[in-house]
Amino acid sequence: MVRRTARALAYVAAGLGMGIGAFAWCVATTAIVAVVAITHLGLPAFLVLTAGTRRLAGWERRRAGWYLGRAILTPHRPVAATTLAGRAAQVAAQPATWRDLAWLWLLGPVGLGSFLVAAVPCAVAAAAIVAPAWAWAVPNLHAPAVPALLEGTWPGRLVLCAAGLAVAPGAMWLASAAAGLQARLAGALLAPGGRQRLAERADRLATTRARVLDAQAAELRRIERDLHDGAQARIVAAGMTLALAERRVRAGPSGGEAIGDDLRLARRQLEDALAELRRLVRGIHPPILTDRGLREAISALAADSPLDVELHAGAGGRQAPAVESAAYFVVAEALANAAKHAGAEACIVEVALGDDGSLAVEVRDDGRGGADQAGAGLDGLRRRVEALDGVFTITSPLGGPTVLRAEFPCAS
Amino acid sequence: MRVVIAEDLLLLREGLVRLLTDTGHTVVAAVGDAPALEAAVAEHRPDVSIVDVRLPPGFRDEGLRAALAIRARGTSAPILILSQYVERTYAAELLADGRGGVGYLLKDRVTALDDFLQAIDRVAAGGIAMDAEVVRQLFARNRRDRGVASLTPREREVLALVAEGLSNSAICTALVLAPTSVEKHITNILGKLELQPSDDTHRRIRAVLAYLNQ
Repeated sequence: MVRRTARALAYVAAGLGMGIGAFAWCVATTAIVAVVAITHLGLPAFLVLTAGTRRLAGWERRRAGWYLGRAILTPHRPVAATTLAGRAAQVAAQPATWRDLAWLWLLGPVGLGSFLVAAVPCAVAAAAIVAPAWAWAVPNLHAPAVPALLEGTWPGRLVLCAAGLAVAPGAMWLASAAAGLQARLAGALLAPGGRQRLAERADRLATTRARVLDAQAAELRRIERDLHDGAQARIVAAGMTLALAERRVRAGPSGGEAIGDDLRLARRQLEDALAELRRLVRGIHPPILTDRGLREAISALAADSPLDVELHAGAGGRQAPAVESAAYFVVAEALANAAKHAGAEACIVEVALGDDGSLAVEVRDDGRGGADQAGAGLDGLRRRVEALDGVFTITSPLGGPTVLRAEFPCAS
Repeated sequence: MRVVIAEDLLLLREGLVRLLTDTGHTVVAAVGDAPALEAAVAEHRPDVSIVDVRLPPGFRDEGLRAALAIRARGTSAPILILSQYVERTYAAELLADGRGGVGYLLKDRVTALDDFLQAIDRVAAGGIAMDAEVVRQLFARNRRDRGVASLTPREREVLALVAEGLSNSAICTALVLAPTSVEKHITNILGKLELQPSDDTHRRIRAVLAYLNQ
């Protein structure tokens, strides 16, 4: 209770200081902008002063965040325009710019008001509680009758002390309430509005959706090409070999040996086609993932890799199929890259399955690093992970090691 | 030989029935799902069952699970699993009970008819038939093992065939070697892997597979 009150008092005291500063800043900037607006210095002045306002609002965000115990996110969107007028227009178009300014205007009166409401009752209560100590030391000889009775006599001082103790909880509550009100008001004005948060989320979803659709189309093209050049071609070749054998059969019994060769060849071509199809299926969705889940599938990957793979996988439940599949291919690609490009000899694979359905996989190799982050393989993985609201990070400094990490939120 | 077939795709089921009938076997039941397989095995007590890993209704590994359930009942029911893909894990599960009479082959192997028929005979006789792809996965897993690394290329070839479940004479034919040199290779391999030599082919195969699977 006492600590909370101390926090509240510290907050409102700082608010009083900030309020005075902010009020002065608002008056000054408004005046400056109003004066220079008619000259060609209007735009630069506006940009410089809004940047200052934004900085002050940033301090306010941190201050309110400290008191509320949760970070207040900044609602400002990056300004992309390169011309002065364009930048000014973009800054002016953001509601956050004006909400920042509104809070700085408000902070003066609100800061003063909440300081008075919070600090005065606390000061009076504290003074009354310690009355027995100080009133005796500094007797007020000119005081009117009632205060003189309270402060000048022992019973009076004890009554005063009791009264101070009695009102102290109320004063403390008032301090917390005033500080809380100020902080919540700051939060309401300085944090991104609900509408803005939704708009940003919609933007992000639209981007990731477009990217995943691209990735999906590219994947289908790759599968089509693989089928066309691989299995399909081999089956056609087997068909041709069989047609040849059929011709020989029609021609008479003389070609027995050649027919046998043809049939063996056709069989081998069909076996190759099947092997090709199996490889392709594994690349689309490995059957063991469906059958046994992520742990078993990754352990099969680890066993198949030419690298020395150390696998740490805690126990956990099944995740959504799309998440399991994306995590599987992150590990598969990381292991393949480590062996093919990074010249690694060993890898550590970690799989952390959360009880809430969240999942993180990390692959760390001992190779030479310098992975091409824009390469088709890694970019495809990034799209796939981000489409599931996941986070995909690669660190690959020259000289290594390369660390690939994909985190998926719960129930995505 | 009396055979039960469990395969959900009609085309492949009919193909297998025809293939086995043509080669002198009797197909006593050809079913399409796991419960029907368990019922058919209980009813007919076949010499061998040929089972697809993926069966309705889940189209996952129901065939394998049914096979394990049948074997867990303690009856000697030789089972040959066929699959479009092979996984070392599944092979390990099939071999876990330490009894013979199991096989695990890619479906493609059916087209190499003679080898396929030999594999059926081996499994029916209580032996083992492991797909070369499973053996490849086992070798990949054990490439850093000191024993496996110390083998010569020829010994590795022989070990791979032993792991697939081939008998000495079959290995002679496959690698075009004299019986004495095959025996010598096998003695060397068992020595390097520190396995007990054994005259019983099946016991030796199981020891090798257990070693590679550990």
